[in-house]
Amino acid sequence: MAITTRVVERPTDDTSYVRATFKGLALTFKHLVDPHKVTVQYPEEKWDIGPRWRGTHRMLTTEDGKAKCVACGLCPTVCPANCIKLVPSVDEQGNRYPAVFDIDEFRCIFCGYCQEVCPEEAIHLGRHYENAEYDRKDFVYDLTRLTSQTHPVCEMWDPADPRGE
Amino acid sequence: MSDQKLVNLTIEGRPVSVPEGTTILEAAKTAGVLIPHYCYHPGLKIAGVCRMCLVEVEKWPKLAPSCATTVADGQVVNVYSQKALDARKGVLELLLINHPLDCPICDQAGECELQDYTFQEGRADSRYREPKRFNPAEDFGGDVLYVTNRCILCTRCVRYMGDVAGDRALCVEERGDRAHIGIAPDHDLSHPWAANVIDLCPVGALVSKDFLNKARAWELDRTASVCPNCSQGCNVTLEMRDTTLVRMKPRSNSEVNHFYLCDEGRLNYEWVNRADRLETPMVAGKPASWENALAAAGAALKGATAHVVASASLSNEALWLLKQTAGTGKFRVAKGAEAPLPGVPDLALRADRAPNATGAELLGFSRADQPLAGAGAVVVIAGDDCAGLDTGALASAKAVIVLGSVVPAGAPAGAILLPIANFAEEEGTFTNLRGRVQRYLQARPAPGLARASWMALAGLAAAAGKGGVYDSAEAVFGAMAKAEAAFSGLSYDSLGLKGQMAAGARVNA
Repeated sequence: MAITTRVVERPTDDTSYVRATFKGLALTFKHLVDPHKVTVQYPEEKWDIGPRWRGTHRMLTTEDGKAKCVACGLCPTVCPANCIKLVPSVDEQGNRYPAVFDIDEFRCIFCGYCQEVCPEEAIHLGRHYENAEYDRKDFVYDLTRLTSQTHPVCEMWDPADPRGE
Repeated sequence: MSDQKLVNLTIEGRPVSVPEGTTILEAAKTAGVLIPHYCYHPGLKIAGVCRMCLVEVEKWPKLAPSCATTVADGQVVNVYSQKALDARKGVLELLLINHPLDCPICDQAGECELQDYTFQEGRADSRYREPKRFNPAEDFGGDVLYVTNRCILCTRCVRYMGDVAGDRALCVEERGDRAHIGIAPDHDLSHPWAANVIDLCPVGALVSKDFLNKARAWELDRTASVCPNCSQGCNVTLEMRDTTLVRMKPRSNSEVNHFYLCDEGRLNYEWVNRADRLETPMVAGKPASWENALAAAGAALKGATAHVVASASLSNEALWLLKQTAGTGKFRVAKGAEAPLPGVPDLALRADRAPNATGAELLGFSRADQPLAGAGAVVVIAGDDCAGLDTGALASAKAVIVLGSVVPAGAPAGAILLPIANFAEEEGTFTNLRGRVQRYLQARPAPGLARASWMALAGLAAAAGKGGVYDSAEAVFGAMAKAEAAFSGLSYDSLGLKGQMAAGARVNA
């Protein structure tokens, strides 16, 4: 059987590229004149993150600059990722404090249990997302780093609605 | 049992049959109901001061303190009726009025009865708005620190020191809301059994200075064991944080130590954690594989009469394999002062400061002050007891084989050293001074290439052509029970975790 070709007649509106080109250019010029920006201009502009954002940790301190932590051991116990290393010690006044408090932020799953369980409101997740480092080992945050950071911290629950109702 | 009349009663809907004179609290335990209590302890006299064990007995006008009420026929006891729950909730609320909220820094947290019962039955909040009473902590001497604020005045410690330890050092001072535990003038808790008050204390008021802030109760891995510090053979629990032994606690055994453990026993454990261990077999000062070291040792033992120095710290299994390999020999036992606990019959810190002198003697080893004296051409030293001995006798020896957990002092340069595990790193049995054979279990791995003592000695026996093949301490014990009349009829199954008397000792007793 011989091969035949059927030519379909289309309306000029569909086949002409001229109209489509002008349509596209019209949109481009519209944004040039009236920039309705969707992209956040990072890093000049920063995204407004929510009050319950769970980012890398921060340890709150007392007025004299010491970590609030009393090394009770609840956060390493509750941590499902086993990323907190804690070695308790006692100072001259007989107060418990953490001699070692390391959080491996690579292992952390940012569940927030450590903040929730902390009886001293010491360890907090941060409202913070700029975590780049030059070295993998810098992602293990030690006590000095945890206490010296100043970014805002996560509100685990809405103070106006603590039971989540 | 035949002269004891049984009483039938109902506790929480469960029929219970107990001997006459039993308290409701003990009867409830047989029904599987633990009635909350603080002042009651099975090893102490009944005081009835905490009012925590109140239960409702049907047809009685008032609630009954179950620790001080004996059972009667046909009683119907309701532990969890609303009336009883309300009463206990009230008791807990009053106990918590002055109790500090310092659970995060309290050593007792996680094993605290006040925490447990408050969680079970207490109020979720406090109605007390006044400032809490504050008293400073007090050092009671010995290993005991008294944190006054946490005390709930159950007086277990007062009764223990007075009635069991026989040293009335403690009393309740002041009255009413100022009451606290006081220590008599010129007294401290340096009594050799005083640290038991730490275990008896249901809250964190009496805490161990040695254990203070070392670990949290829930981080610890617990292993049933036997105290290796004297021949009494008190049952203990080894509590490890990761692989570090952080404390020893008594494990109750009504035939040996009841609920107690002496201070020397509980505090002498740091040697278990020592880091300078013998970790690889050594032949003539060079590290060797187990195969080569055992082959060298076996060749030296073949056809020779060995002078054997054993240790009373080795298990029965290891000593029996040592006897199979090289014959019996001598051992030395470190001595110390004996310190009995007056309130418990046949319980003392014994003069023999090693756990298995009786086992060694039952297997034919004998005591000697200088076990190395008269050493011949081939010497086998098992255990770490040779420190400080005159090793001059070893200079003329042709072959010296040492099985030890540390590098032995004074061993000649050509010695064959075989690393063995200590008691926390292997399974085995000790025979206490009354002939009770008791198992201890492995709590952590042995360092480096060190092997369990029974395994190292089984390898040595095989290399010397004198032993069977054993794949576990249990198999060695089974073979020993068949071969040795003193241990006949025993097996790991029949020993359980409380031990059994050895046949040889039963005859002697």
